[in-house]
Amino acid sequence: MGMSPPHQPDSREHTPPRWLLLRRGPWRAAAFALLWWVLAAGDFGSWVIGVPVSLGAAAVSLSLAPHKLWRWRLLGMARFIPFFLRESLRGSVDVAIRALHPRLPLAPVVVHYRLHLPDDFARVFLANTVSLLPGSLSADLQHERLSVHVLDRSLPVEATLQSLETRVAGLFGVEQAESTASVEAPRD
Amino acid sequence: MQTFSAVLFIIGAVFMLIAAVGVVRMPDLLMRLHCSTKSATLGVSCVMLGAALHFAEVSVWARALAVITFIFVTAPVAAHVLGRAAYCSGVPLWLGTLSDDLQGRYTRGTHVLSSPPEVATPKPARESVP
Repeated sequence: MGMSPPHQPDSREHTPPRWLLLRRGPWRAAAFALLWWVLAAGDFGSWVIGVPVSLGAAAVSLSLAPHKLWRWRLLGMARFIPFFLRESLRGSVDVAIRALHPRLPLAPVVVHYRLHLPDDFARVFLANTVSLLPGSLSADLQHERLSVHVLDRSLPVEATLQSLETRVAGLFGVEQAESTASVEAPRD
Repeated sequence: MQTFSAVLFIIGAVFMLIAAVGVVRMPDLLMRLHCSTKSATLGVSCVMLGAALHFAEVSVWARALAVITFIFVTAPVAAHVLGRAAYCSGVPLWLGTLSDDLQGRYTRGTHVLSSPPEVATPKPARESVP
């Protein structure tokens, strides 16, 4: 608990200029228009609303975009998506069994996990996916410190978080920082 | 195919019912969030897949997959934001909760962890002078 490795500086020095993001504007507008077309089931009259909404959504998504350009790796997606779907299915079944069980088998614990991902965006992405994994819900994220609320301390949360982190690193194509102890031992 | 989509509808409805039951039965806010996020996500996904199988049209499939994607993207974000708000504003956890390491270290107004200090402000320990 007393040990605190040095804070990893964010790799902000490689930030591209803001205007580079604007190149993505037409692509995003096209993607939102495609989405509109799917949702509106090809109704032509709906484009009166669809076109302005697509443009507005593209503008909002660019203004909210992280300053760093990132893209998902195909190989990383092939590793991440099946894992995420399988684990979230297990997570739903696990919590459903616990909710229906007459004795409510709960032994909740708050685990503090030190992330090894160097990138803020990847960290936020991981923190959000954690909430669908079995028995875990991300409670707080402060730089590289992630607090995870766990339903039952007998669940292998550390192993799940490590394999999730490896896959998120592969998804974003970033290296994980070296470190040994990642989960702080629970205090008695 | 009809029976398969009917089975998916029933599974989805059961999971959403379980999510509701869990919200009532779970002892604190964070555990209720576990229940409502995960079970409801699976429930909605099953119902949408059942509808897509039932209609068996490309446009319905596309919309069903879009809805499932939105649920999978937004539900965990909402759960994290709600959970963080509850956790950081000090909503009491269930008495059985172990090892809340943030206890007494968290400054609510500034959202700053006082330990380890590197995470928060890298100021020298000026405040420790009596």
